[in-house]
Amino acid sequence: MSVQQISVFLESQPGHLRRVLDAFEDAHVSVRGYSASDTGDYGIVRFIVDDPERALAVLVDMGAAAATTDVLCARLDDTPGELARVMGIMADCGINVTYSYSLISTYIALSVKDLARAEELLAGEPVELIGQDDLARPLASGEGR
Amino acid sequence: MADMTVKGAALAAAAAGDFSDLPIHNPAVECASRERIRAIQLEKLVAQVAWTYERVPWYRARMDELGVAPADIKTLADVRKLPFTDKSVLRDTFPYGLFAVPLDEVVELHASSGTTGKPIVVGYNQNDMDMWSDCIMRLVQMAGVVPGDRAQMAFGYGMFTGGFGLHYGLQKLGCMMIPAGSGNTERHIAMIEDYGTTVLIATPSYALHMCEVGERLGFDWESSTLRVGLFGGEPCPPGLKAEIESRMHIVCTDNYGLTEVMGPGVSGECLASRDMQHIAEDHFLWEVVDPDTGEPVPDGEMGELVLTPLGKQAIPVLRYRTHDLTRVTCEPCACGRTTARMQKVRARCDDMLIIRGTNVFPSQVEDVLSGIQGVTPHYRIVVDNEGGLDRMVVHVELKPEAFSDSFEDMERLRRAIEEKLKGVLLVGVRVRLVEPGGIERTTGKAKHVEDLRK
Repeated sequence: MSVQQISVFLESQPGHLRRVLDAFEDAHVSVRGYSASDTGDYGIVRFIVDDPERALAVLVDMGAAAATTDVLCARLDDTPGELARVMGIMADCGINVTYSYSLISTYIALSVKDLARAEELLAGEPVELIGQDDLARPLASGEGR
Repeated sequence: MADMTVKGAALAAAAAGDFSDLPIHNPAVECASRERIRAIQLEKLVAQVAWTYERVPWYRARMDELGVAPADIKTLADVRKLPFTDKSVLRDTFPYGLFAVPLDEVVELHASSGTTGKPIVVGYNQNDMDMWSDCIMRLVQMAGVVPGDRAQMAFGYGMFTGGFGLHYGLQKLGCMMIPAGSGNTERHIAMIEDYGTTVLIATPSYALHMCEVGERLGFDWESSTLRVGLFGGEPCPPGLKAEIESRMHIVCTDNYGLTEVMGPGVSGECLASRDMQHIAEDHFLWEVVDPDTGEPVPDGEMGELVLTPLGKQAIPVLRYRTHDLTRVTCEPCACGRTTARMQKVRARCDDMLIIRGTNVFPSQVEDVLSGIQGVTPHYRIVVDNEGGLDRMVVHVELKPEAFSDSFEDMERLRRAIEEKLKGVLLVGVRVRLVEPGGIERTTGKAKHVEDLRK
């Protein structure tokens, strides 16, 4: 089980990220998580959205340099030690996490080189992976607010 | 020169407005009447045209086409009957097509980078080397250099004309040459201290860099032996020169020249009129023309400098189009010289850039980019000199299909472009990837270059 991530090439300039977000909003694409880092003049901004297909179409329409990648998405309990537990499992399975970031609530996206193998390895482990369908639902609901 | 320590009596007097202690290398020419200078030029022009017509088939064919013979050159104004020479002619006749003497008479070759592919190559016989040294001896003495000075070379030697050109002239004057060459700034500073260097030959941007490194190392420029800077290889804005003078406590001049007509030394700055450079008029006939029409501009107005070397034998170029914009005055100068002075060149009619002494053409960048998958041919060049050295950043537009989620891949692409550009331009550049469509599309002549150098 995995989710589709949208990556966009963006210059590190005021307004460039906003342009993408405005376009997402106009197309009713809901951003469930994202990451952007200080890699210099430009960066790769990554999004997890409810509808990756529509999001990609929006970006292609804009003429942006964008791509989709499959990443793992794990649901974590909001309790101390939970992140360490999940990363510990990744380590024990010998899976290198290329990058990772958290989504809304206690979900984290994890990029790995060999997704299929990682899924296989994690199948028997106490890590709850979620799929694209799960992202379409309001994730935080039912978690006892 | 206001807030600096001027070293030596002659330079101190010059700083106070008295130039009589500064030597003039060849007063018979440099201080001659305008009539006498014009007479020398005419005599040499007539001989030069005959020499060229007889020995260089390319010029003979052009002159025959134009219906002009050497005998038609009777006044200096008759130079306008002759064909222009553009850089492309030297490229097309590479390597020896314009040579007017047998190769066994040639004692030295030099070259400059061309726009694409082949460089421009020029040759000198002993007569030409003597003429070159004569020009150098004039301009270094304008800056107060005297026999016995210790001159440290921070230009690269090699095919570039700047290194050897200055070297021979200074040596002939009687200076002790310290041929350190380019690079290794700390070593340069140590050599100034160890050898008691009095004259530094460098690009202004390198001199500033050296100044800053020295300051960081705690080197005391004020009490050092260094007193004169001879700049070249790139234009030197007055503000930059003043800054170097006050921080390094030296007097600096720069000179003008280009490989195609000789090399450095066509004209040089004197301390009496610092925005102007005295042309070695007995060696170069100058014209200032409208770059679009090729017709002369009114006296003293801005136009493109056209040069005809006089008495240069191995490659006798006629009416070379420099693409450099300047204006020329024939008013006598407070330094005592009567030779015409050209305003320092700050702009060119084409868009060639000089980056740390190396000629860079935007068209070269375009050529490289068009050969790289994954980027568009749209680009922008931004040049600045923050921190002293020229820095060139090329903005390159990424194609959507070349994008991947991997930052490593993007960096690999970026560095590959940097490497390719460096291989062609012969100067290090930084590539900055921008988003598709991120380079402004302009109608008409695209504006590719932003020069922010101060």
